Amino acid sequence: MEYILHILIIILLYVMLTQSLTLTAGYSGLISLAHAGFYGIGAYTSAILSVNYGFPFLVTLPLAMILSGLIAVLVSVIALRTVDDYFIIITLGIQVVAFSIMNNWMDLTNGPLGIPGIPALSILGIEFSSKISFLILALLLTTVVFLILRNITKSPFARILIGLSEDEIFTKSLGKKVYTAKVISFTIGAMFAAIPGVLYAHYISYIDPTSFTVDESIFILSIVIIGGMRNLWGAAIAAAVLIILPEVLRFIGMPSNIAANMRQIIYGLALVIMMFKFSKGFISKPYSGQENKV
Amino acid sequence: MIIIQLVINIIFSASLIYIISQSFHLIYITCKYFNITHSISIAFGAYFTFFFIEQSFPIQIAIPLGIFTTILLALIIEQSLFRLLRKRNTHSLVLLIASLGLYIILQNIISISWGDTARFFRIGEIKAGNEIFGAHISDIQIATITISLFLLICTIFLFKKSNIGRQMSAIYSNEELACIFGINSDKVILWALGIGSSLAAITGILVALDTYFTPNMGFSLLLYGVVAMIIGGVSSTWGLVVGSFTLAIGQHLGAYFIDTKWMEAIIYIILILFLIMKPFGFSGGQLKKIDI
Repeated sequence: MEYILHILIIILLYVMLTQSLTLTAGYSGLISLAHAGFYGIGAYTSAILSVNYGFPFLVTLPLAMILSGLIAVLVSVIALRTVDDYFIIITLGIQVVAFSIMNNWMDLTNGPLGIPGIPALSILGIEFSSKISFLILALLLTTVVFLILRNITKSPFARILIGLSEDEIFTKSLGKKVYTAKVISFTIGAMFAAIPGVLYAHYISYIDPTSFTVDESIFILSIVIIGGMRNLWGAAIAAAVLIILPEVLRFIGMPSNIAANMRQIIYGLALVIMMFKFSKGFISKPYSGQENKV
Repeated sequence: MIIIQLVINIIFSASLIYIISQSFHLIYITCKYFNITHSISIAFGAYFTFFFIEQSFPIQIAIPLGIFTTILLALIIEQSLFRLLRKRNTHSLVLLIASLGLYIILQNIISISWGDTARFFRIGEIKAGNEIFGAHISDIQIATITISLFLLICTIFLFKKSNIGRQMSAIYSNEELACIFGINSDKVILWALGIGSSLAAITGILVALDTYFTPNMGFSLLLYGVVAMIIGGVSSTWGLVVGSFTLAIGQHLGAYFIDTKWMEAIIYIILILFLIMKPFGFSGGQLKKIDI
């Protein structure tokens, strides 16, 4: 039972991660490989603040989001001077630098040793130390993030994003501020990525840099693509399937190290197949008059 | 003495980065997308050679066999997968992600077949490196520098004198026009992939001989090559040389004055600085699709 609850919590964290990237990568077409970096910034901010200074969750969560957002604004102003392939390489660079800082800045992050002893999450004196209570809290936050993202993706702002991802010059010619829209979209994605980071730190109670590597970024991006790029529910389902998959493989008797490799092979394969589907570019279906997609 | 050692290390690193960026450059100018799958050729070069040595081939035969198998695999991948995607007029971004997916698959196949642990080639006994003016340099490092010099001359010859090299430049500058003049772009791409994969396999083997090899060794090496190509500019071979040296100098000076653990971060900081200040690289060739 504990085991199932653990899987459910991890799924919810990934749902938040992938849905936030869906806004950035799916709607505005900014395929980013730096998402695990922002996830890590969230986790490290809350871990450092709560272990060293004893800040409560209600303070660290907004602080983590703001810090992640600030860094996102800074890097996106530089990175967004490039487009497409070069943007991916730049975000990859940001991810590597972020990982380097987590791994090497001993004084701040304790390096590869990680930060142990992160206190259990508590809000106004109520402790969320049992798995079931944490699951409820995670579910609550996931729902909030989902509702906000759904509202954003149905708003006129999302139409600017879709427009600029499909034809940037045309969108610009309509008088839309393309560059600003891109920065905002990237920043919102990064801010929401910090939330699962904070939850993860308090849930596992120990973080080290290996949870926030380039591979993690690739994994998150794969989930978004497999989920159908501009589909919040699709991203959630893909996240659930890809998290459960290695557990199922282990359950049918595959050694756990091969199960992890098999998961990667399967999502690699799914990526290649999806690219045949998207071979004309990441273009949405023709506008049918009303927004029926969530 | 430390200065000489530093210079030797820089030349060695630059040679390695140069070979990779040259191999990537060949593929990039013909296919026109970032082929991440190319990084697996580096790992395959080392692992196939390792496989043939395990089959008790002598190393002089195992290395050519390893390189040959790597080329064969790269060509099969191109013919069976990427050619189909290219024929659909696919956007370069989509091709990049497809190649990333394929890289993940192949890297995990290596992990399953040979394990994730670092492996070594056991040839000859371990001995101290050669001494030049009090600095140390190993045989493999000398070989790497020599091979990269040789390859540099070969590439210049390829682009200046040979037919296929000129066809590659033609496809780079205008693919449609090249096709009108009867250049078969599929054939040229296969040539570029063949040469590129052999260079990648050579790098993989050199790295494996120098230190060790793991299934994901190719990824960061390839990215060094890509960064060298971006900061050097795509339009000339000399740009790649300058780019490789910039990276190597940045890396080793950073390692000397700050700490070795920041080497990887320094590379990307150099890249980001370049994109701000000199967006077209040293050689000024149009590479970056900046400001529409």
